Amino acid sequence: MGMKDTSTFEGIDLYSMLGVAPNASFEDIKAAYRRAARRLHPDVNRNNPGAGVQFQQITVAYETLGDTDKRKEYDKKSQQHADNLHFTLRITPSKRRITSLPEPQVIYLLAEVFPDARASQANQKRDSRLNLCLVLDRSNSMNGPRLNQVKVAAHQIIDQLGEQDIFSLVAFNDRAELVIPATTVTDKAALKARVSMMTASGGTEIFQGLEAGITEIRKFLAPRLINHIILLTDGNTFGDADKALDLAKTVSKDGITISGMGLGQEWNDRFLDELANSTGGSSSYINSAGAVVRFLNTHVRHLSNTFADRMHLSIAPDPDVKLESAFKLQPNAQPLIIDQGFVPMGSLQKGRSISTLLQYELPAKMPLGFRSLSRIVVIGDILGERIRKFQAISDISLEITSENVNEQPPSAILDALGKLTLYRMQERANDALEKGDVRQATRQLENLALRLAAMGESELAQQAKQEAQQVAHTAALTDKGKKALKYQTRSLLLYAENNEDNGNGDS
Amino acid sequence: MMICPFCGFKNRPGAFFCDDCGQPLHEDPGTMTMPTRQIELVTSEINAKSSWGTASFDAQSTVMLHIRDVREPVQIRPVARMTIGRSDAATETYPDLDLTSYGAMEKGVSRIHAALLRTEESLTLVDLGSSNGTHLNGQRLVAEQPRVVRDGDEIRFGKLVAHIYFQTR
Repeated sequence: MGMKDTSTFEGIDLYSMLGVAPNASFEDIKAAYRRAARRLHPDVNRNNPGAGVQFQQITVAYETLGDTDKRKEYDKKSQQHADNLHFTLRITPSKRRITSLPEPQVIYLLAEVFPDARASQANQKRDSRLNLCLVLDRSNSMNGPRLNQVKVAAHQIIDQLGEQDIFSLVAFNDRAELVIPATTVTDKAALKARVSMMTASGGTEIFQGLEAGITEIRKFLAPRLINHIILLTDGNTFGDADKALDLAKTVSKDGITISGMGLGQEWNDRFLDELANSTGGSSSYINSAGAVVRFLNTHVRHLSNTFADRMHLSIAPDPDVKLESAFKLQPNAQPLIIDQGFVPMGSLQKGRSISTLLQYELPAKMPLGFRSLSRIVVIGDILGERIRKFQAISDISLEITSENVNEQPPSAILDALGKLTLYRMQERANDALEKGDVRQATRQLENLALRLAAMGESELAQQAKQEAQQVAHTAALTDKGKKALKYQTRSLLLYAENNEDNGNGDS
Repeated sequence: MMICPFCGFKNRPGAFFCDDCGQPLHEDPGTMTMPTRQIELVTSEINAKSSWGTASFDAQSTVMLHIRDVREPVQIRPVARMTIGRSDAATETYPDLDLTSYGAMEKGVSRIHAALLRTEESLTLVDLGSSNGTHLNGQRLVAEQPRVVRDGDEIRFGKLVAHIYFQTR
């Protein structure tokens, strides 16, 4: 449990572990411990190793809080910590009581990480300094309004940055060109002039641009900085996608995040998703040149509002439980790759949460009583006067019963799941098409149209319907429809406040 | 196992939305957005054993189709896929269940209008791109999308209204 390790002590509140108030009397604490112990004692949970862990936890809590001296010491320590800023992890399961069934069943958890509320009020001063590199596609197809808008966006980003920030800019087509080598942002006019010189020509080879961008980032790479690359492209990269993905995975270990932005319809969405996912960055769809400026600006503004960086999520389900999928809902909606120990989650920004929806499969014939489901750990570097590593842990336990439980799931989970279902339907339509099953793809899209209409998304429903007809006739989606359905069903998952930074830019 | 009331897909317990058609599963079927059934009582012919509203349909089950304004119900023994429509010699169209003698022509039934599909545990109805549509309990079906039929449901082919009853032996 690591309870004695002071570095994890911070995140764990012994009072809440026993379910008592910080000013509870000794009698209250004792009674609360007895109540919990009866529930979790290994003797009554013989087939339930999870209960053993839980029991240990409450025992440690009781040993500390039930001893006057130790409690004083703990209170003193947590008071010192109380002044430190931290983040909190809140887990909400779709059901707390589960009926034991002869067949496997699914359960969902909503995992939310909240930054310290004091961070957004206390000091208006920016704690986070950026080490930002723009890697911009200047291939032939960018010619005209696209490149012009990108230049305007780059100008505004330079205006946003200050002397404490590092900025670099790489333009690429078939090869990379270093437009602005990594530098502190002092002579803004000179930097902007260089941006203005960019012209469009040639093809799209992302690896070269990415590699050059990483070289610039590395010049100033430091844990004190938000080391971030924004890759903007409007085309498919040829032959070097795997190389680019390998590179992304390597740099992720050094704390560099990459966000991918696709402009127009012709870029490879799966590639950009994977590129961003493997580093904790975001991937988004900008459907018109006109939306580029606001989109990039918002992205950079959020970055410079970072509370904690290099956030990572680790999920450890119990041995008989299977974690089936994880989907990030906030601050940007995208599927997470969970085949690694610690999943990079990017930065936690002031006043905004990171939330993830997890889907587990529970085994058949679970023994009755309390059991644990999974442990979830979130770690990250809190930025401030100094950098502090912080971690929050949560062990989720459930009650398995023989009764028929008729519990309504929390509306936040239901709402997210309803929308996630839509995203998955368009994914299934795409999968079916890849396998050549036109009938199945058509059916999925028609069903999607029905659901979208039922949820009041009439415009998107119309688009799904059109794509269904398109698929029935041509066995393929239109490029535009494919991207719109994918990224707009995703963006339905976001709260209204930050819809602006998840594609759908000009609506 | 949770069978989706809309498409018949088998979902795992704990799911809130159908993994196939995306419809919500967590709502009580009685409160789902289906219009009130307009059931005409034709009790004399209904088998007392059939439990009204069930979607379960086993190998032994047969179906009685009560067509409005027609005295005698039509008894059907569903096969894997039974097409419904009106026969047309000119195009050599012969559906498995021919509704010609029940006024199919004037009621706008297409030649190949719909089909009843029997799966392991349920019976589904699918519209086959008919001109005037197939309605299940007042809801128009999207072509090619099967919907689970329950005992007592109202089915409308164009303007031809029928009620379907399951008979279990």
